[in-house]
Amino acid sequence: MRAILPRFWAWPSQLRKRGVLGINRRNLNYLFEANPRSVYKLADDKAVTKTICREHGIPVPETYAVIKRFGDLQQLSEIIDGRDEFVVKPAGGSGGRGVLVIIARNNGLFDIANGQMISLSGLRYHISTTLSGLYSLAGQPDHVILEQRIVPHPVFEKLAVRGTPDTRIIMYRGSPVMAMLRLPTKASKGRANLHQGAVAVGINLQTGQTFGGVYFDRAVTIHPDTGIDVGGVTIPCWDEVLRIAGNVSNIIKIGYIGIDIMLDAQHGPLVLEVNARPGLSVQIANRCGLLPTLQQIDSKLSSSTPVDASKKLVLDLAQVHLNQNLS
Amino acid sequence: MVKEQRLVAWTVVILVITGSLCIAARLKSLYRARLPRGETVWRLTYDIDLPALKGGKIHIAIPDSTPYSRVFRESFSHQGIWMDILRTKRTLGREAIIVPIVGHDRGRFIAQFDILLKSEQEPKLPNPKVQLTTEEIEHYLQEEKAVQLTDPYVLNILSQLTSKQINKSKVLERIFEYCSENIVQGGQGATSDALGALQKGSATTLGRARAMIVLCRTAKIPARLVTGFFLESALDARKRYWVEVYSRKYWLPCDPENGYFGELPSTFVPIRRDSTDIVRSSLIFDYKARYSIRRLLPPPSFTALPENRLWNILDLTRLSPGMQEIITLLLLLPLGALITTIFRNIIGIHTFGTFTPALIALSFVQADWRTGAVVFFIVLTVGILARLLLNKLKLLMVARLSVILTLVVLCMILAVSILDYLGLTPSASAVLLPMVIMTMMIERFNITAEEDGHKQAFKIFAGTMAVALCCLLVLREGHIAKLVLAFPEIQLLNAAALIVIGRYSGYRLNELWRFRDIARSGTQGVS
Repeated sequence: MRAILPRFWAWPSQLRKRGVLGINRRNLNYLFEANPRSVYKLADDKAVTKTICREHGIPVPETYAVIKRFGDLQQLSEIIDGRDEFVVKPAGGSGGRGVLVIIARNNGLFDIANGQMISLSGLRYHISTTLSGLYSLAGQPDHVILEQRIVPHPVFEKLAVRGTPDTRIIMYRGSPVMAMLRLPTKASKGRANLHQGAVAVGINLQTGQTFGGVYFDRAVTIHPDTGIDVGGVTIPCWDEVLRIAGNVSNIIKIGYIGIDIMLDAQHGPLVLEVNARPGLSVQIANRCGLLPTLQQIDSKLSSSTPVDASKKLVLDLAQVHLNQNLS
Repeated sequence: MVKEQRLVAWTVVILVITGSLCIAARLKSLYRARLPRGETVWRLTYDIDLPALKGGKIHIAIPDSTPYSRVFRESFSHQGIWMDILRTKRTLGREAIIVPIVGHDRGRFIAQFDILLKSEQEPKLPNPKVQLTTEEIEHYLQEEKAVQLTDPYVLNILSQLTSKQINKSKVLERIFEYCSENIVQGGQGATSDALGALQKGSATTLGRARAMIVLCRTAKIPARLVTGFFLESALDARKRYWVEVYSRKYWLPCDPENGYFGELPSTFVPIRRDSTDIVRSSLIFDYKARYSIRRLLPPPSFTALPENRLWNILDLTRLSPGMQEIITLLLLLPLGALITTIFRNIIGIHTFGTFTPALIALSFVQADWRTGAVVFFIVLTVGILARLLLNKLKLLMVARLSVILTLVVLCMILAVSILDYLGLTPSASAVLLPMVIMTMMIERFNITAEEDGHKQAFKIFAGTMAVALCCLLVLREGHIAKLVLAFPEIQLLNAAALIVIGRYSGYRLNELWRFRDIARSGTQGVS
């Protein structure tokens, strides 16, 4: 039996052996335990996250404006006046929903990164539906951020299809646990959202080199659109990325957190957003479960220790993780 | 963690023990329960054969609870016909309205009513106080078939019975006396016509009742005929007739045949007022009806604890059948939630909204599933298409949702009306489809389709439907409905089960599939 069946599913014992974290356990043991309800708003409202990061000197994309009321829409043309490229983003959205990346102006129309075009009134409508809560987590009224468009670092030129790749680092109690590089595809319509069909590649925490890969929850090693090998790419400024992620998790006291960082060609790593409920596909990208590392962190830190941790520990754990991958 | 687990374990244990103890205690008392002295249980069975159905509505009068008797259980079987139960306010009656299903030309309606007769220790008024309107009074004073008002013979008798000095209630007594003494019970071939009864001095029960109605109405006292049954064992029970006269805001029952005036023994169960027929239709049609009555031994599940015991609060079967139906629906909802929770947290199926599947299933529980399905799919398709068109109008969200809600309501009503036009009579319960839930589902479907692609939207839609179907299959099961009604304590066990699932930290079934590549792969970069 066991020899044939695993083609279609894995036995729970196999997943346990690989340390795979399931969604129920993530919710019960990590989100409930490590993420107090009161700090969710710091992660769920991107405008708030950005403000906190900026106050602490953490690089974020430049904000042009935050639209909070329908009345503000009248100033829309003034806000974007003279800007040919910018990003319109719901402050409370998730999974890249409702994000418009404007890459150029064309006879009064705006070119969107996914190849479509939109008029000024279309933009206004998009913002007003966002304000009324179309993309927010629970359909509540939302804010809209207009910010700097990130130009992908040249290293990603071949890998990115119609969008900007980003790196997600899963942090637990101040230590990096796992990381992945998310690459947009045709299926994901330029968004780096795994549910919509973006490809993710595991990142070796120690070296910043990519390996493995996942596409629609299946293990892959090539980009589905271009056929290019996604492994073996070294993320530029990887130490800087890890350092920024550590700082963010020290400031925003969320125990279990996913930090999304984009690498701008000019400005280097910029924190895009933080996610208080990071998904689990990162495990498939890394071909490895999250549990062993999480448990190691728990056993190293007594439960009374606050969320921040020494840099030494961070590196120790990175080493642990590396060993695990190689074993 | 450990603290929480202990707390969870204790809560579950307490819930399970409390629930089980309650059920056990009630079961024990139920088995030991005896009917109080003087109370009896009867079963009235209707067996109506409709050999040539043509269409059109047929009204069948059915018993209702009175101060003396309580219909505590009823069951219906209706082949080839669709049925609904309505209450007529004016005559305080209940009717089963049946309509043939297209393609069926023969139907059979079988119904059983279990009636508890209360003891007659405290006399109660058989009918509640009512204030008749002028039209109603006129209605109960007018002439009708076999009730001839203006006949000189009737006037003559009435003038003998009345004089200017006496008041109406005295007149009423005299009329009653006349009908019970001067008209004798006729044998074969006796008349059932009011005038005939008065002229011949002998008549059937119906004739005597009508004679009394004629005299009352001529004396300007509103009166009506009551058709019903005596509760006594009979394989082929005869319809009985008596009279109700309106006096001092009460309908007083009078039976000239047996000499009851103002009150009746509790064995008289009224079925229909104002008519002699139990089965009635605007069309002429053939039917064969057989009514039988037998006395029942109180079944063990029958709760007959002495009244006004606090314990009885838990006994929901003492409520009227109509109320029981609604309460059963409510009690089934947490069960639907349990099923949804199992699907979402243990199997890992995504649905639109948390309780959408349970609510959709619930609205189908009592509806005829075919009409339900037709209405459901019409609403859904039109809703989704309309939403696509609305996209072009670029409306704000709340306004857009409200427009869709309006369209959903319109579609639903149109669908019901079209079904009716086609002769496929829709069941009223299909309209119970949770419209707001449907609206939200259409909206979520569209957003998901737009954001995550149609494939994902259909996947979640299929998940929602699959969970709803499973809920429906379980909730439709009649035994489960009876069980939750008989033992509301089951909800405690349900809560315990939900708490256990709420602490389940194992893999979801779909994760065994989702993460299978991790289990298969070696250490690095193998696919």
